[in-house]
Amino acid sequence: MDEEYDVIVLGTGLKECILSGLLSVDGLKVLHMDRNDYYGGESSSLTLNQLWKRFRGDENPPESLGSSKEYNVDMIPKFMMANGILVRALIHTNVTKYLNFKAVDGSFVYNKGKIYKVPATDVEALKSTLMGLFEKRRARKFFIYVQDYDENDPKSHEGLDLNQIPAKELIGKYGLEDDTIDFISHALALYTDDNYLEQPAMDFVKRIKLYAESLARFESGSPYIYPMYGLGELPQAFARLSAVYGGTYMLNKPECKVEFDDGGKAVGVTSDGETAKCKKVVCDPSYIPDKVKKVGKVARAICIMSHPIPDTNDSHSAQVILPQKQLDRKSDMYLFCCSYSHNVAPNGKFISFVTTEAETDDPESELKPGVSLLGPIDEVFYETYDRYVPTNDGEGDSCFISTSYDATTHFETTMKDVLAMYTKITGKELDLTVDLSAASAGGSAEE
Amino acid sequence: MSLRRRTLLKVIVLGDSGVGKTSLMNQYVHKKFSQQYKATIGADFVTKELQIDDRLVTLQIWDTAGQERFQSLGVAFYRGADCCVLVYDVNVMRSFDTLDTWHEEFLKQANPPDPSTFPFILLGNKIDIDGGNSRVVSEKKAREWCAAKGNIPYFETSAKEDHNVDASFLSIARTAMANEHEQDM
Repeated sequence: MDEEYDVIVLGTGLKECILSGLLSVDGLKVLHMDRNDYYGGESSSLTLNQLWKRFRGDENPPESLGSSKEYNVDMIPKFMMANGILVRALIHTNVTKYLNFKAVDGSFVYNKGKIYKVPATDVEALKSTLMGLFEKRRARKFFIYVQDYDENDPKSHEGLDLNQIPAKELIGKYGLEDDTIDFISHALALYTDDNYLEQPAMDFVKRIKLYAESLARFESGSPYIYPMYGLGELPQAFARLSAVYGGTYMLNKPECKVEFDDGGKAVGVTSDGETAKCKKVVCDPSYIPDKVKKVGKVARAICIMSHPIPDTNDSHSAQVILPQKQLDRKSDMYLFCCSYSHNVAPNGKFISFVTTEAETDDPESELKPGVSLLGPIDEVFYETYDRYVPTNDGEGDSCFISTSYDATTHFETTMKDVLAMYTKITGKELDLTVDLSAASAGGSAEE
Repeated sequence: MSLRRRTLLKVIVLGDSGVGKTSLMNQYVHKKFSQQYKATIGADFVTKELQIDDRLVTLQIWDTAGQERFQSLGVAFYRGADCCVLVYDVNVMRSFDTLDTWHEEFLKQANPPDPSTFPFILLGNKIDIDGGNSRVVSEKKAREWCAAKGNIPYFETSAKEDHNVDASFLSIARTAMANEHEQDM
């Protein structure tokens, strides 16, 4: 350990592992440590025994649930947008070769007490029972505008400068109803609040295009893909990338105390009485608790079931977004389901998660609107965890701290943080223009 | 079960740092040997195509990428392995003593359906050093270890002199294929 590194990374969560991989590929000398004896930190996937140990102490899981090792229960459940930033990062780094993906069966939205497939194209809008007859036609026109919109072709702009007009003006032009705006912005554009309405419409349109293009990619019922064996595979794949490019890995390192010089700059990390020197420290919020502040908390329910989420077309993997207004809340609620078809549970078993930004201290009653959609549940675990953001800027103290994972069931916010951190650490932008066709995912039947 | 024209076999190579895992792979696939030791950097996996009887087999041989150095190989590394190659250095007793740990660790992490029949193979490497005068682990001792683990095939190799490298990897491919065949039935 008594060497000098360019960067010491603490914690092997997904964000830290992606950064470690990218920095090693850039030729930096990286030491990556974790206090746990497993990869993934907060974003690991647990076996049944690990899950029981975490929530039920000494009790053993019932035998009816099957073999512990066949479970890979994500602690931060999220799906990957097929054409999204994470997939681009996987292709850019060629980490796809370590992983197998399979498309997610369905993408749904909750509206007035019922679950509907999310319509993302003009054709789907006409077929959807989500909207009334006239509204379907208005939505169809809106989708056609978005599909045809090409930044470089002024003819497709229909006289609107999307960099100037706010999203609400564009929506107003098509006269969409509130429920329609709700599902388009929260289930398609994946906004977590309604601030986008006042922002230039360009981002709104690009997000909808990303969804539609991702949906077209694998011809499944959703724009999402998900790795076989769960998300815990992702940090490990990026860690391997880092190791292949010379990164040094040490799990099970107690303490991992960041050392500072007199000027307050990070200069090394001490564990087990040994100090490794470095120029920069990258870590998750738990490693430097006095440089982060709590900004909220996530409430979640982890459920083991023997059937798919009702009314999701028998989807063996699915996302259901419950927009905030539908529940009279300030934040959306998310249902996430995956199963044995992605090798995260034994045959016939499903894992569902209900998550939201907590607005109370009682996750059980707060999550009820989501949990009640799941039907009979074999086992359920409730939990809340705090979300932290860094209070430093990294420039003065050479510490680059990631923000905690949010309640969303997709990676778009996660990857924005990773890219911003990469730029702060290296002073350059990561170019993720890649050939998306380089990645493939199995459809409903595995290759 | 339809006849597959091509078979892909994932082989992982385990053992202490410095026993020659990467060198064996490089010798086998690239016919190259470097005297200089660097803890593995840049090694990922190598592939080699083989014709075995009437089948075309692609061996995908996975290096530890140096993550074994501080016991930091994650479970993902072990997933879907068809065969596990254990390597020790005949000149270093410790690398032989830790074989039990590697064997156990593999079974724990890879979690194969039937641990007692999962294909392993043991390579005793660096037999060239000092004309064999510095070896501390006898062939007899190694063979006894293999017998105790359910008759694991054993080869003595020199990655440097390309001794027995092809033969051992051919045996690895056959062992892995035999196991796959049993699972198919």
